[in-house]
Amino acid sequence: MTLRLLLLSAVLLPWLTGCVNATVDQMVFNSPTAGIGDASVVILGRRHASDYETEPGFIRCVGGHIEARDPSIRVIDELEFLNALYPWFEPRTAPLRPTDLEKLFEHRDVAEKFAALQTRYMIWIDGSTVRGDSAGSMTCGIGPGGAGCFGFGTWSDDASYEATIWDFTQRAEVGRISATASGQSYMPAVVLPIPIIAPVQGTACDSVGDQLLEFLSHTP
Amino acid sequence: MEAPLSGSMTTAPERGHWLAALALVCLLAGCGTKQVVVESEFPDPVMNPLPLTLGIWYDDDFANHEFFDEASGRAESSWLVNTGQAQVELWHTLLRGMFRDVVFMNGKPGPGQMNPLVDAVLLPTVDELQYAIPAHTNVKVYEIWMRYRFQLVTLGGEPIAEWTMPAYGKTPTAFMQSDEGAVRLAAIVALRDAGAHFATTFTRVPQVEVWLNSLPRAGGQTQVTP
Repeated sequence: MTLRLLLLSAVLLPWLTGCVNATVDQMVFNSPTAGIGDASVVILGRRHASDYETEPGFIRCVGGHIEARDPSIRVIDELEFLNALYPWFEPRTAPLRPTDLEKLFEHRDVAEKFAALQTRYMIWIDGSTVRGDSAGSMTCGIGPGGAGCFGFGTWSDDASYEATIWDFTQRAEVGRISATASGQSYMPAVVLPIPIIAPVQGTACDSVGDQLLEFLSHTP
Repeated sequence: MEAPLSGSMTTAPERGHWLAALALVCLLAGCGTKQVVVESEFPDPVMNPLPLTLGIWYDDDFANHEFFDEASGRAESSWLVNTGQAQVELWHTLLRGMFRDVVFMNGKPGPGQMNPLVDAVLLPTVDELQYAIPAHTNVKVYEIWMRYRFQLVTLGGEPIAEWTMPAYGKTPTAFMQSDEGAVRLAAIVALRDAGAHFATTFTRVPQVEVWLNSLPRAGGQTQVTP
């Protein structure tokens, strides 16, 4: 009976997740007239703020989300792109406006690299996921007879991201998407801690990814 | 017949001793010096090389650069951050991409020192390095600041230019990432920033600009494009 209970817990526990509320705003200035064909897309994190940094994991998540749902879209890995165009896309040197690209393309080597990568859209993502209020307490102990925890903890996470889409051919900003998500996670512990985690960042990733996918997969 | 796992079977008090010893080791580990050896490969810069032959001289302090911060209290750890190897790797890669030829000097430029013939010699040094971790700042980023001092001299050691340059790198906290791992990542970001800063501003340093424009080249001036 105990074994059955443990097996059932092992199967069910990973499916226990907290609730997440997500809001997505999309503002498209210039809808694409066709899919992107053989061209590629690069997704980059903005890292100018002093008190937070867009997580590289979030950028990978959005890129993976797009590629998984539409394999025809080639998403260039962020680090691969940064290395290929070093030092022009480091936080200190990265263009802040689409018009700054003109100055960048004055460097022949940079323009050639861009041509080789066939990049049509550059998507800048700015934001982060932060831990909000937390409450509760948990005590864990260890002794000759075993170890265990007792208590209850809860915390909230808030994610806020904004994606800006630049079109290389037009040297212009063509779209803007913002997504926010918040959720409450719980961790009751009776001998074993049972994490019930709200997938806040994952939800924000899916929200941004779905909207970008809609934009990039657009066909007339 | 002996059971295959008999060696791992212990009585409860023995297991208790092992657990106590493990807990003690964990506690002691928390009080020791946190050591970070920064190692990384850096990308070649995408730029039109300046038509110059640059000499480089790294002194021992630079090539083996390390930063030590002693813990101020019992609850804190001392930190030893070794960036020397990564510094050499970065500047070697960067300068080879920025100049037509890069030559390592046999000795520090000066009167009587035999060295290969070059247009000028660059001597980089790290003046200062500071770090911050979330435990210090309550901000969920790990940060590294560095201040470099560059001297550009002739083969005879006469100064052409001298300037300082800051570099900054940070990395966010991440699940299951150690303090050491995060500081290492922040240091790599700071080194990349140093390379980017140097590459994009070298020709705009006033003394360097004057020197470049004084060099005899085809067409009368050295082509400088930042």
